[in-house]
Amino acid sequence: MQKAAFSQRSPTNRLLLGLIITLAAVLAYASYITVQLAGLRKLQSEMVDRNRKDSLQLLRIQNDLNSIALAMRDMLDTTEPYPLTAWTAQFERIQQDLDAGLKLEENLAGASRTPDQRKYLTQSVAQFWDAVSRMFALAQTGKEPDAREQIRLSLQARQQALSTAVSRLLVENNEGEEQAAASIAKIYDGVQRQLYLFLAATLIAIVLTSLYLIRANRQLFARLAELSEQRSELAQKLISTQESALRHISRELHDEFGQVLTAIGSMLRRAAKQAGEGSPLHQDLKEVQEIAQSTLNNIRTLSQALHPVLLEEAGLESTLDWYIPTVGRQAGIDLHYEKSGKPFPVETSAGVHIYRVLQEALNNVSRHSGARDAWIRLKYQADSLELEVEDHGTGFVGEKMQRGIGLVAMRERAELIGGTLAITPRPQGGTSVCLQIPREKVESHAA
Amino acid sequence: MNRRNFLFTSLGAGLSAIATPQHIFANPASNLGFRLTDVTNAAGIHFRHNSGAYGGKLLPETLGSGCAFLDYDADGWQDILLVNGMDWPGHKRQRSTLQLYRNNRNGTFTDVTKKAGLDLELYGMGVAAGDYNNDGFPDIFITCVGQSRLFRNTGKGTFVDVTRSSGLFGRQGFSTSALWFDYDRDGLLDLFVCNYVRWSPEHDVFCSLDGTHKSYCTPEAYRGDTCWLFHNRGDGTFEDVTPTSGIFDSSSKSLGVAMLDYDQDGWPDLLVANDTQPNKLYGNLHNGKFRDVAVEAGLAFSTEGKARAGMGVDVGDFENSGKPGIAITNFDNEMIGLYRATKPGVYDDVATLAGIGAASKNTLGFGCLFLDIDLDGKLDLAVANGHIDETVRNIRGNVGYAQPPQLFLNQGSGKFQDVASEAGGGFDTPKVGRGLAYGDFDRDGDLDILITTNNGPAYLYGNEQFTGNGSIRFELKGTKSNRDAIGATVQTFAGDLYQSRMVRGGSSYLSQSELPLTFGLAKRDKIDRVVIDWPSGRTEEYKNLSARKAYKCLEGKGMEPL
Repeated sequence: MQKAAFSQRSPTNRLLLGLIITLAAVLAYASYITVQLAGLRKLQSEMVDRNRKDSLQLLRIQNDLNSIALAMRDMLDTTEPYPLTAWTAQFERIQQDLDAGLKLEENLAGASRTPDQRKYLTQSVAQFWDAVSRMFALAQTGKEPDAREQIRLSLQARQQALSTAVSRLLVENNEGEEQAAASIAKIYDGVQRQLYLFLAATLIAIVLTSLYLIRANRQLFARLAELSEQRSELAQKLISTQESALRHISRELHDEFGQVLTAIGSMLRRAAKQAGEGSPLHQDLKEVQEIAQSTLNNIRTLSQALHPVLLEEAGLESTLDWYIPTVGRQAGIDLHYEKSGKPFPVETSAGVHIYRVLQEALNNVSRHSGARDAWIRLKYQADSLELEVEDHGTGFVGEKMQRGIGLVAMRERAELIGGTLAITPRPQGGTSVCLQIPREKVESHAA
Repeated sequence: MNRRNFLFTSLGAGLSAIATPQHIFANPASNLGFRLTDVTNAAGIHFRHNSGAYGGKLLPETLGSGCAFLDYDADGWQDILLVNGMDWPGHKRQRSTLQLYRNNRNGTFTDVTKKAGLDLELYGMGVAAGDYNNDGFPDIFITCVGQSRLFRNTGKGTFVDVTRSSGLFGRQGFSTSALWFDYDRDGLLDLFVCNYVRWSPEHDVFCSLDGTHKSYCTPEAYRGDTCWLFHNRGDGTFEDVTPTSGIFDSSSKSLGVAMLDYDQDGWPDLLVANDTQPNKLYGNLHNGKFRDVAVEAGLAFSTEGKARAGMGVDVGDFENSGKPGIAITNFDNEMIGLYRATKPGVYDDVATLAGIGAASKNTLGFGCLFLDIDLDGKLDLAVANGHIDETVRNIRGNVGYAQPPQLFLNQGSGKFQDVASEAGGGFDTPKVGRGLAYGDFDRDGDLDILITTNNGPAYLYGNEQFTGNGSIRFELKGTKSNRDAIGATVQTFAGDLYQSRMVRGGSSYLSQSELPLTFGLAKRDKIDRVVIDWPSGRTEEYKNLSARKAYKCLEGKGMEPL
């Protein structure tokens, strides 16, 4: 149920949704920009570039018309020794260039020119060259004064009219260019506005996503802490339950079975006396009595191991004095036990946990370290009690440490009594387990 | 290289080796295979151009004058002619005439102007030398402000003014460059004359930079004027065919002209450099008429489509491709135009790529010549620079009135490098350069340089090779073709080295170089063959000719070493 609730609150889906929305926005904006750029390019190539090229051709035409005007001025200047026909090649050259310019210009002008404008320009140019031909024809037949008159009366006026028409087209082109420039500026403004909007939206999306992520993270950590607390509580309850169960079993074993076996022993002793010494029955009863005694001893040891009653009766220090040599003997390890500092009484409930930590640590030494020696130091310090178990074995930190339930229990016990447990590998090999409890948490004030 | 030079060079190299490294680079001999020496005084050339400037700032004052290498006495040694201006009427201070120097065949010259009957005062601009009457002696046409003059060579060391009798009298103009060429291939040299603008002292326009003081006008202030084409009738007279030949153009402001065969059809065409007007390329239509094809050829305008201020022009196969390349000098702030033919008749301006563009941006070029200065088999480019305005430095700080001439060495692969500063002899000393011509006056097989300056002296630079590069020279004489063989093309083949040249008058600016052709061969000791295409249509081929020699070739009569 909790798992389901947690998965419902997972930010992944929302983040994915956000990502999709962001990508969609980027795509949409990119498409918008592409469309605008295409429009801009079209406007630039079709309008501005074409206009500019057209203007260049118009300038070329205007230049040719000016050359014609200058040539006609020279033709009317009678200081020139050559006949008017001398200008034929010059006019042919200009006509060639003018025709080429007009042709290019017409293609470039395209739709921007009205049919009337086209017609006027074409016809005016054609009429001009007709008049030029007539003038040269007159000159060729020796009628130079008539030809000059033709220039003065007709050609110069036509040239001026053409020049004016071309100037007007140039002005129109200029206006067109200004309009195109305005359109381009409009597009730029639009794109700029959209860009700001997009940037603002992106910024907002980033801020919202970040806030959402922070919130989700906080929730996640709070949940983790809660879970950890629950787990710790559970572990401690488990330990308490285990401890009370063990104490109960220990008492039962000690009190009930102890008394029963003690009674069985007394009864067997009495029965053996009645059977008479040296009789086979006496011998058998003696053996049964020894078995009962041995079982009683075992039960006492087991009871002591499950919950050392000694702790409650004699305190931690005495219990350790008894326990360490016992376990050393049983496990076959040389245990070097050192005490330091000024001893102070330890509360039984705390003593149980300290005892259990020691028990687990020594258990680990005997089972995993492979060491033949171990050092146990109990330090009574001014503000704390410290218990250190050190071995010079192969060490069990690492993988074993992560997997062992015993180690978890050691930590839980340490926490239960408000202390800390440090398990550190020694640089020279082996492991050091150090339990440190503040003095006020363990010191018994009962005495 | 003689022993003294060898010792000097060795000593120089030795001293350089023990001195600091930059001395090695400072020694011109260590970088180039040739050295120029200013031999003007030693050769006895004492000339000073008189522009007539008195403060009236009259336009022609800024433009003169030209020079020529010609063999006027036909002795096989190149003589020198220097054109001069004169004082303006009403401002007479000195007498100044053109000067003719006869080659003494020992490295010195003698002033024979008076003896030759040429000590006349003219406002001369340019010169074109050509044997128009095919008598074996070059005649001289001097372009002038006003009436230009034709001097017929009598063959006895004197000249006769035949302007009037030849029918050239009565044409007043501001004539500049001119050249002799046989456009109709009838064996008679015709005359082409450039005119600048319609100017006369009476119609001088007042131009001013500061609004108070008069300054020299730019050509925009004046109307253009047509170039002239005079057809040689063969009887000592000329016919003005300007209006009928398609040459007439009243908008032209021409300063330089070069002949070439741009479409390689065997007929001579003309390239005219115009100032602030489109250049003209007059294609020969083979019927006595020309058509301007400069726009189609890509020569009329700059690559930006602007008419530049064209001054001097020369044509040469600088790529050894058989197709002539072109150089046109322009105003300052305009680069030299260096054109290569991408295909016959179509040109591309490669000045920037070639390394000439940027180097000529701040110079005002006038005379220009393609010549193989180091005889390595590749045509180099020499340029005479100089501004027209003495106060230009006040307006444009990086441009001077006197400017160093440039010598662009052809590095191959289309690259050129200006080595004027390393050429020696003070060649790169700033000058107000105008005319420029080459000729082998000392007959040592390499080309010497003649430069004229505006209102200043002329300079003769002797060229000396010292890495063993040699050449082969051809002096062509036409029999059926015009006597000077102008228009003949010569192609040489020496192993992997192919070169082509044309015998040409004119080119550069107001000047004319010698007519014999020089082919640099580097260290080659012979050429495999030479092919000569005469203007008459005749083709001749000669094989296995030794290098380091000059040959005289008479059309249809064979070739003999000189």
